Amino acid sequence: MKKKLMLYFHIPFCLSKCAYCAFFSAPCTDEALKAEYTDALIRQLTSFENAKDYSVSSVYFGGGTPTVLGPDRLVSVLSAAREVFCLEENAEITVEANPKTVTRDCLYSLRQGGFNRLSIGVQSFNNGTLKKLNRAHSAEDAVECFAMARSAGFDNISADLIFALPDEDVSELRHSLDSLIALRPAHISVYGLSIEAGTPLEQNYSSYSFPNEEEEERQYELVCRTLKAAGYGHYEISNFALPNKEARHNTGYWERTEYFGFGAAAHSFFKGKRFSSIAHTERYIALTKEGYLAPTDFDSSAVLSKTDAEEERVMLGLRLSHGVELDRGHVPDMLLREGLAEYSEGRVRLTEKGFRVSNAIIGILCETDEK
Amino acid sequence: MTNISKIRNFSIIAHIDHGKSTLADRLLEYTEAVSKRESVDRMLDSMELERERGITIKARAVNFKYLADDGEIYDMNLIDTPGHVDFNYEVSRSLQSCEGALLVVDATQGIQAQTLANAYLAVDNDLEILPVINKMDLPSANLEATKEEIEEIIGIPADEAPAISAKMGTNIKDVLEQIIKVIPCPEGDGNAPLQALIFDSYYDSYKGVVVYIRVKEGTVRVGDHVKMMHTGASFELVEVGTLSPFGFNPKGMLTAGEVGYFTASIKSIADTEVGDTVTLLDAPADEPLPGFKKVLPMVYSGIYPSDGARYEDLKDALEKLRLNDSAFLFEPETSAALGFGFRCGFLGLLHMEIIQERLEREFNLDLITTAPSVIYKITYKSGEVRFIDNPTNYPSPDEIEEAAEPIVKATVITPTAYVGSIMELCQDRRGIFIDMKYVAGDRAELHYELPLNEIIYDFFDSLKSKTKGYASLDYEPDGYKASKLIKLDFLLNGENVDALSFIVHSDKSYARARRIVEKLKDNIPRQLFEVPVQAAIGGKIIARETVRALRKDVLAKCYGGDITRKKKLLEKQKEGKKKMRSLGSVELSKEAFMAVLKMDE
Repeated sequence: MKKKLMLYFHIPFCLSKCAYCAFFSAPCTDEALKAEYTDALIRQLTSFENAKDYSVSSVYFGGGTPTVLGPDRLVSVLSAAREVFCLEENAEITVEANPKTVTRDCLYSLRQGGFNRLSIGVQSFNNGTLKKLNRAHSAEDAVECFAMARSAGFDNISADLIFALPDEDVSELRHSLDSLIALRPAHISVYGLSIEAGTPLEQNYSSYSFPNEEEEERQYELVCRTLKAAGYGHYEISNFALPNKEARHNTGYWERTEYFGFGAAAHSFFKGKRFSSIAHTERYIALTKEGYLAPTDFDSSAVLSKTDAEEERVMLGLRLSHGVELDRGHVPDMLLREGLAEYSEGRVRLTEKGFRVSNAIIGILCETDEK
Repeated sequence: MTNISKIRNFSIIAHIDHGKSTLADRLLEYTEAVSKRESVDRMLDSMELERERGITIKARAVNFKYLADDGEIYDMNLIDTPGHVDFNYEVSRSLQSCEGALLVVDATQGIQAQTLANAYLAVDNDLEILPVINKMDLPSANLEATKEEIEEIIGIPADEAPAISAKMGTNIKDVLEQIIKVIPCPEGDGNAPLQALIFDSYYDSYKGVVVYIRVKEGTVRVGDHVKMMHTGASFELVEVGTLSPFGFNPKGMLTAGEVGYFTASIKSIADTEVGDTVTLLDAPADEPLPGFKKVLPMVYSGIYPSDGARYEDLKDALEKLRLNDSAFLFEPETSAALGFGFRCGFLGLLHMEIIQERLEREFNLDLITTAPSVIYKITYKSGEVRFIDNPTNYPSPDEIEEAAEPIVKATVITPTAYVGSIMELCQDRRGIFIDMKYVAGDRAELHYELPLNEIIYDFFDSLKSKTKGYASLDYEPDGYKASKLIKLDFLLNGENVDALSFIVHSDKSYARARRIVEKLKDNIPRQLFEVPVQAAIGGKIIARETVRALRKDVLAKCYGGDITRKKKLLEKQKEGKKKMRSLGSVELSKEAFMAVLKMDE
């Protein structure tokens, strides 16, 4: 029996740095570097020992903006992955895209090359806000991107939205939600904006007005209510999907399915260990040339202890609406009494009210767990 | 045997930071009792904490020889004294062991309340006072004004006062010569029945209790069977001698006029109380020396280990501290909110602070302490009278015939510019004005009668902040006075938190209740449920705030399966949790708890 594995490819390039982004990614127009990076990904792939022992259920190209690499390079990496590993027949193969980075031809090539799911970073339908976030695209670009994707053959499309954005209130958010619902993506991710140290957003914090706690709460409520009414199931804290369109890759993260990350700054959960590769594009490339970054090169990382693993299971599993298995004795009555969690059939699951304060609840459940 | 006419016994008294310990060092250095090489800064203060704070907590005595200009060798005994109001009784016993005192005055600051209080104590003990004007090296030193102040406020001539810099070591010889000249030699008869005054004692793990004495009459020798005239304890002396700056100098005997120590394998300092008289068991003196007083704590507070598992460690630590500090009392107490701990009695706020700091520092304990309380005198309807030092035990109003609180006589010395704000402060703290004197220069001396319970409620800090640190405070207990007292209780989530209760004058109850309730609201982290915060008097709610429930935390993206940040967040939460205390169903950090208890406006 083959072991289940998911693959992640990190593309550290983008068109322009978004104002909120603290992730390992930088604008890149250097075609030679993109080509070298592509070669490096393929080298890292082919150095993977016993790759045929794994059955791959999901492949995900994230970034950055993977489409900055161009469709041909993305497809060549995917093809290499197909050769090295055994991809399941109906594997979910996702690529993230920025509306400004794709053309119909590009999307067509990706679809033909084997990608079957497209994740579009829409973030907002308000052009003023997109500008503040330093997004390279407009609301109209996003609408056009959807049309192109559909005509290129993508029927499984996901879109990202952000709430609690600068100078936005419930009415602006409602506009974004309605615009997105009208496009009928199969899957919608909605994240609260978090202001990260060192980002332009943080540095210019005082020049924007950010929603206060009550406003942020209202916005999250609006998201949940609106999407539910539009037929999207709230299957994970920040994710909503039409029936049977839940993201398998993301769900895998929360259910602790193992995954291997290729590329610079890519994270892996492999053989019970969590590790990540070097967060430096050129050095990453050099390392693959010297024959490094195969799974065995991460052997020194520690296998998670039983306690750590259990804590992860609870912490990650509670993001899903179906919750996690847990002894009733580990669930404080207060959570049930306050309507923050529900308990039945040996599982604890957070309510919508509980989702909003999930970190605090996870803290409590993990603590109880230790005793 | 030492010629009694060549003995000089003296103390140094000063306001904090006026340079007492530095002068002591210089005196010893000058006489080469201590070579410079071996001198540790402020060697008389041997406790670490004392050295750090630059204050002397327990008295110590040092014997040294001085070759004076008259060609004679003098036997000098320097008895160091604690410089704070909390230790007034100990100071008075130290002063009783001397014939004179050096009154150190900072030439840049002049007379302060403590200088004055100590000077009065010296006068009360019939000591010859030798003023010494210190810090002459500082540019702001004002010799003439300081002399004028000494003459005017204390009423002693200051013409001849040595003007020195203890820090730089200038004019130290002048001080020593003046000691010989001004301070009289002791009187006493080495053949009379033994009367030796205990002015300090401490526990030494090798020798047992080391008792500091001043022999007033008679002679004491190794092997003597002695008796403590007040406690009645008797011992056979093992070691008798003087103390050099380097340590014990066992000479075998001490005679009238001398200052030194004895040991007798004594296990408990409770047997050798400060102020007691030592006499011979088989040839006792007719009566003890006058002035013995049992010292009683004035301020009480609950001390709890932050980590309940360290209760036994706390107990051991308290017992160890008690070995060297008979003024400090403790007994077990239980709080519903804080678990097992101890009710501790202190001479005053400084004493309390010192004990708490030593527990945390020397014994590495993390403590939670409840708000300090004074001792209330309650007359019940039944006629019974009880003293209550713990708000938890305060009776309900319908049982009380009369409640009385301790009163102090307070002296504040201040630049006249601040008289108005000090009067305002004292009035606000229910003070009764007694009188005010304008003294030398631009300063005033105010006398107030104040409830002690107001003084422990951040009076000192307020005084300092209202006067930019210029005013100084001294006070002495002055009995009890009937007062309209009530007990304030606090409820979190409907549950009474006993550790937060305190006693307050009824006129102040609403304002303080509001203040504490607001502080609780600001300091209690938001829980997953709404927490009502209430203040109550006898079951009636008089103030309320609500800590709103936590409504949301960040719903950020986990990029590419990177869960490290989520894990870090969880670790941080868990770290925080460990430091949390549960007060009923509400969790709050030790810092939050202490912030609420910190009595300030």
